[in-house]
Amino acid sequence: MSSRTLSRRDFLKLARTSVLAACGLLGLGGLIRFLEAQTEPALPTDFDLGPVSDFAPGSRTLRPEIPALVLRTDAGLSVLSLVCTHLGCTVESKPEGYICPCHGSRFDPEGRVRRGPATQPLRSLRFVIPQDGHLHVFTN
Amino acid sequence: MRRYFLFFGSVLLLLSLLIAAWQESRRPRPVALIPTLTGQVEYCLTCHSDLAQISSSHSVKTFGCVVCHGGEPLALDANLAHSTMRGGANPSDDSVVQASCGGDNCHGGSPETYSDHIQRATTSIQATYAGAIASMLYTFGAQPDLTARFAVSVVQDPQSSSGITGLSAFGQVQASNPAIKLFGQNCLNCHISAQPLPGTEYARFTGCAACHTPLTPVGLLPGEGQGVTPQVHKLTTAIPFTQCDTCHNRGNYDLRSMTFQSRQDLPTDRLHAYYQPIAQFTTCEYKLECNDCHTRTEAMGGGSLYGSKKDIQYIRCKTCHGTPTELPLTKTLTDPNDIAFRLAQLNPVIDLKIGDTILMTDKGDPLWNIRPLSDGSYELFDKASGQRYTFKPVKGSGCTQDPSRQDSASCHQCHSVQR
Amino acid sequence: MRPNFFHHLHPPTIPAQQARFHYTLAAGGLALFLMLILLATGILEMFYYVPTPDQAGSSIQALTFLVPYGGLVRNLHFWSAQFLVLFCLVHLLRVILTGAYAPPRRFNYLLGMGLLVLAVLLDFTGYVLRWDEGIRWALVTGTNLVKSIPVLGNDLYLVLIGSPQPGPATLLRFYDWHIFGLSLVVLILGGWHLFRVRRDGGIAVPPPAMRQDQTRITRFELVRREALAMLLASTGLLLLSVFAPAPLAPPITAQSALSETARAPWFFLWVQQLLKLGSPFLWGVVVPLALLLLMTLIPYIFPRPSSSELGRWFPRSGRPSQLLALAIILTILALTIVALLPTS
Repeated sequence: MSSRTLSRRDFLKLARTSVLAACGLLGLGGLIRFLEAQTEPALPTDFDLGPVSDFAPGSRTLRPEIPALVLRTDAGLSVLSLVCTHLGCTVESKPEGYICPCHGSRFDPEGRVRRGPATQPLRSLRFVIPQDGHLHVFTN
Repeated sequence: MRRYFLFFGSVLLLLSLLIAAWQESRRPRPVALIPTLTGQVEYCLTCHSDLAQISSSHSVKTFGCVVCHGGEPLALDANLAHSTMRGGANPSDDSVVQASCGGDNCHGGSPETYSDHIQRATTSIQATYAGAIASMLYTFGAQPDLTARFAVSVVQDPQSSSGITGLSAFGQVQASNPAIKLFGQNCLNCHISAQPLPGTEYARFTGCAACHTPLTPVGLLPGEGQGVTPQVHKLTTAIPFTQCDTCHNRGNYDLRSMTFQSRQDLPTDRLHAYYQPIAQFTTCEYKLECNDCHTRTEAMGGGSLYGSKKDIQYIRCKTCHGTPTELPLTKTLTDPNDIAFRLAQLNPVIDLKIGDTILMTDKGDPLWNIRPLSDGSYELFDKASGQRYTFKPVKGSGCTQDPSRQDSASCHQCHSVQR
Repeated sequence: MRPNFFHHLHPPTIPAQQARFHYTLAAGGLALFLMLILLATGILEMFYYVPTPDQAGSSIQALTFLVPYGGLVRNLHFWSAQFLVLFCLVHLLRVILTGAYAPPRRFNYLLGMGLLVLAVLLDFTGYVLRWDEGIRWALVTGTNLVKSIPVLGNDLYLVLIGSPQPGPATLLRFYDWHIFGLSLVVLILGGWHLFRVRRDGGIAVPPPAMRQDQTRITRFELVRREALAMLLASTGLLLLSVFAPAPLAPPITAQSALSETARAPWFFLWVQQLLKLGSPFLWGVVVPLALLLLMTLIPYIFPRPSSSELGRWFPRSGRPSQLLALAIILTILALTIVALLPTS
């Protein structure tokens, strides 16, 4: 056999290997789909916090289930997420701002970063007050 | 030879993998529903998404399917998914109604919250047949009086306010009397838990669905309803008279031969559809629905066992029309939690508001679809079709009937319709 | 070519007679292959299965209906398991009916019997893990059989079942046995079994002097044949798993009792039939164990088959053991068939 042409044995070997590779890829694809399946429903992204009247002007209400802080001033309502923007721990609310217990990030009372390792400010969460008069907060 | 074999072997494996992938792609995409009442995900909608919602007060987003029907919420194989369904296709059947419809928050609650439907329905004579059984046993000498002792199946009511705390199953009566035996064989098809006789004119479900899932579309008479497929996944209080007729107007018993002679005509007008071809009735009795007059208590019972129609049925002509000396009783609705508002919301043929006045029976049952008008007459809204009728009270009319003799036979003397 | 890892797992050459399909039926090799499939599919199932009574059935339903290829993985696991038990029996029969249990292979025969028992126990514990209506009565009777053993019964019951009656503790223990306890023992005994095959001179054939067929095949050829067997077995297993789903009944709940007939798993139908005769301990424990013991003692109670007759089916010198083995297997088969007949 010249080195330019493929012997029957080698062709069959090549063919066999490619077929088995295809099998392997199919199997891998199926395996990935199998392992990616979600059997639990996703965590809720909207929260009904009750009547807006529950949040008196001048109040700061901690809602740990989100977790977020609902601030009602004379200017209006704002909802500040208490999820640290570094790696997701819940920050603690202090008079001088917020401190994250995990790696020491500090935020001012408006949520801006005072000291790292976090680089992004605390998120302001979107909210609506529909006809029922309840405060609905969204985390997505 | 061996080399070919390995190549063909791998081709076969590839083919089988492709077949597996193809089979996987043919599976239906699961459609999840998380009802707000249960919080448990269920996948019934994968196959049943085109099913109409059963009623506005049982929205599928709130209830889902499994809380009423049972079944396996995660299974997408029909046999497995349906294997634990309660009552087959009818979860309101007597055998499973407590699990499907019961509970304090649903229809197994207390009279104070108007949620004791199961208690009322299962003790009513439409379920127990106690009256017919008692009167038949008395007639043929099997019991000394008309006291109800038997029902179609055993039923207990320890808190009964009627004095009857339990009924035994009729099957236990040793029927040496041929008439009683024939009665047991031929005449026990018309109660809520029995399977109906074959034939579309008898078609109904059992349990709550016997009345609340009408199989005769509103407005269609037996002669017209052939071949029309009714919506069976439906619960309603707008019950047309044709549904009552599947038991109440199908023919006559012959008490000598103890057989049932079914009526053979297929009427196409309302006049001839109503009642037996021998009965007497007035205009409103054939133009309205049965439940426009017969109250919830009459149709479903009061919550205690009772032994005769006479103990529960009390509606008279004078309940709506009054007597020559008295106007019918009324009630002004001041409490937003009044049962009348809930009933009107379930079947919005009338818009009731706080401050409205409705008619009321002498026992306090609201006739929530009937209102006095400012000119002294009254308006009524048909509970099935919503059609509006007006009528005048007896007082101030030319009626000369003795005010103390107000049974229906008296009114029928003058007011019955000629067929 | 240079031999790779898989080539090196095999001797450089083996007598051609050892690799003939019509001799060995490839039963032992297929059993080993099926164990590997079971390991892989079992690990995948573990990502979704929850071993508590209220979640077992629904986690299996979620795996079967909601996870992509979940049903396929479960069916592969189910069919591999049933065929494993079947091939262990076929392999056992082959060994007896070809006289391959003679010394020096008697100890390996014992290891094999142990592996057979473990395969059946793994099949049973896996069956129970379904925790559905189909297994309910098998679980109750099977565990009560343990109680019927005198002296040891009650303590053994508590050890195996974990509580006074089958419940959450039982499910957790059976899960532990299934994925770890029994599997670990299978790994050890299986490895030993394979080692002993090599040390005892490979699959039983006559010694070189008495051998009629002197041809040999290389390790390369042997691996090729094994690869072909695995490819064909995988194809068959896949097609079966695609078109024949594993059984699943509604989960066991406190009030459910849906069964019209209570049927043992197929490999225990013969015991269910025996138990119709009377005393649980006698017919459910003693008789089956006695049959097992009889099978196990075959290499020790019968005269050894002659070496010249090795490598072929039904050697004359092994006639008594063949008759006994066939009698036992046919009895069990007959009992199984009778158990399957519709009851009049």
